[in-house]
Amino acid sequence: MPLDGIFNSTVDILGKSIDLRARQQNLLSSNIANAETPNYIPKALAFEDELQGALKAGDKRAQTATNARHLPLKGAASRVSSVNGRIIETPTASPGKDGNAVELESEMGRMIENQIMYNASVQLLSKQFLDLRTAIRGQ
Amino acid sequence: MDFFNSMNISSSALSAERTRMNLISSNLANANATRTPEGGPYKRKDAVFAATPIENSFSRALNNAATQGGRQVAVQQIIEDQNPPRMQYDPAHPDANAQGYVAMPNVNVIEEMADMINATRSYEANVTAVQAAKSMAMKTLEIGK
Repeated sequence: MPLDGIFNSTVDILGKSIDLRARQQNLLSSNIANAETPNYIPKALAFEDELQGALKAGDKRAQTATNARHLPLKGAASRVSSVNGRIIETPTASPGKDGNAVELESEMGRMIENQIMYNASVQLLSKQFLDLRTAIRGQ
Repeated sequence: MDFFNSMNISSSALSAERTRMNLISSNLANANATRTPEGGPYKRKDAVFAATPIENSFSRALNNAATQGGRQVAVQQIIEDQNPPRMQYDPAHPDANAQGYVAMPNVNVIEEMADMINATRSYEANVTAVQAAKSMAMKTLEIGK
């Protein structure tokens, strides 16, 4: 059995999620840092749809194996690793007189959400490895 | 690594807010200063912030996707408020003009206090962002523990 079997796509997905959320944190820091810079438009990384799309597409590909002897393609995982997200602008509905479109409250909210989701991904990944170790040791 | 970028961005903002705080202190301290080395009353000073690309030659060389979109903040310029001085009637003052009016600095103390609260809150928001980045980085080290 290839190693793919042990480190199934869960590891790839969680790894990607951690990677994307780290980048998101970068952009949110940037928004908070520029909360008073004239004409600054806040940015964020949109990747949820793309990640979900990659997962679905991956499933479909796995089902289209027409012969039992076809080698399993790591469909989901390879698609997941190509997800990069796209940078979108998230201006507030009412920008200030100086053209700054950052709303500090919503940026802080996004940052906390991002942090919690990041920690959740890390915890799940950690648990995944812990389970594997338990299986290997048999205790 | 990503989180160091994030921390760099936040620390650039901390330093910019501190510069702003210095200027506010200077404005408040000199709210009644009628003499300056340049002559005339003190003029209110303010910082102009500008978003700048992340200053990190390593990531720039790699054109790293991780740094795309992120912007540091820098104090681009310190400007002097060109509003006219506040004229106050005080004939006994040595700087009074022929009509008995003294040109006082164009500093509005209440405005400066409001600005100061604003700068403090911005500073705190950035400290929170640094703490968030730090806790995320520390959490990463727990993988596989």
